[in-house]
Amino acid sequence: MEGHQRNLYLYDRFNARVVGVSRDDVLTLKYWGNDLGVTFPLLSNITAFVGAYFDIQPEGKPIFGRRTVIIDKKGVIRYVRDGSPDFKDILLFLKKLNQEGR
Amino acid sequence: MKRKGLTILCLMLVVTWLSGCATPETSKKVPYRMSPQGTVIWEDEFEFSPPPPDWKLLRVEAGENDVTFGFMRPDPGGYPSVTTFAYDEDPFGCTAASFEGREREFFKRFLFNAILQFQILERKKVRVVGGEGLAVIVEGKDPVKKEKVRAKVVFGKRGERILGFYITQWRPMDGSYDPSAFEVFDKFVASFKFLKKSFYETL
Repeated sequence: MEGHQRNLYLYDRFNARVVGVSRDDVLTLKYWGNDLGVTFPLLSNITAFVGAYFDIQPEGKPIFGRRTVIIDKKGVIRYVRDGSPDFKDILLFLKKLNQEGR
Repeated sequence: MKRKGLTILCLMLVVTWLSGCATPETSKKVPYRMSPQGTVIWEDEFEFSPPPPDWKLLRVEAGENDVTFGFMRPDPGGYPSVTTFAYDEDPFGCTAASFEGREREFFKRFLFNAILQFQILERKKVRVVGGEGLAVIVEGKDPVKKEKVRAKVVFGKRGERILGFYITQWRPMDGSYDPSAFEVFDKFVASFKFLKKSFYETL
């Protein structure tokens, strides 16, 4: 999350916005986000429907898998990567989408 | 919280996460070469004086909050006697534009797993990578495990972004620190140069 926060000025440049989604509750996310200094939205999804939608909800576990998804302005999913975010890869992809007007 | 009009929403990045998890990956390519002057050229991007041969290169990792590269040396005196130093393109912290603000953010997470209380021994402005910087020397102690660590962190800038160099030297509580390792670190930092603009500066 800190990495995304550090890159916000670059996401702005490519007309992209970032949101985080977690199964943690709102209060936990609020405390955690404030402690880290994260200014982008952190969404609480304790019922896990977002995780089911993105297929990152391990069965029987109270957490989401770690996945980065880029959705274009038409709502089309353009990029999906699991694990720790590769920020350079993400930024290059956003730059390309922005240049293509997507 | 930063608010943007919905009408300007073009791309959206959705991130889900497991708190505190990172998946390291390793690179099999050797990312450096030696120059005729004996300096190390790292991925044609950085140049620095290497430490003496008893310092081993730390494995290069990719991903969130991982160091770019570093060196380590086991020290005499038994566990946990070891010294490690590293260059980090993205040190802990994310919001502060000033070195002092980033220092506060950084020390919330630096050696977090060790659960140490740090005492700042020295803080001073320095010159680093051709610009202004901030050097902070701290000591942390763990009275339960009977271990201690002395660390020096140097913050500098590359373009708009704050970078960090740091050295940690672990010792048993009754062990003594080896200042010569800090001299090796200082030489490494003083010699460090950028050979080209960073990825972020060229986006």
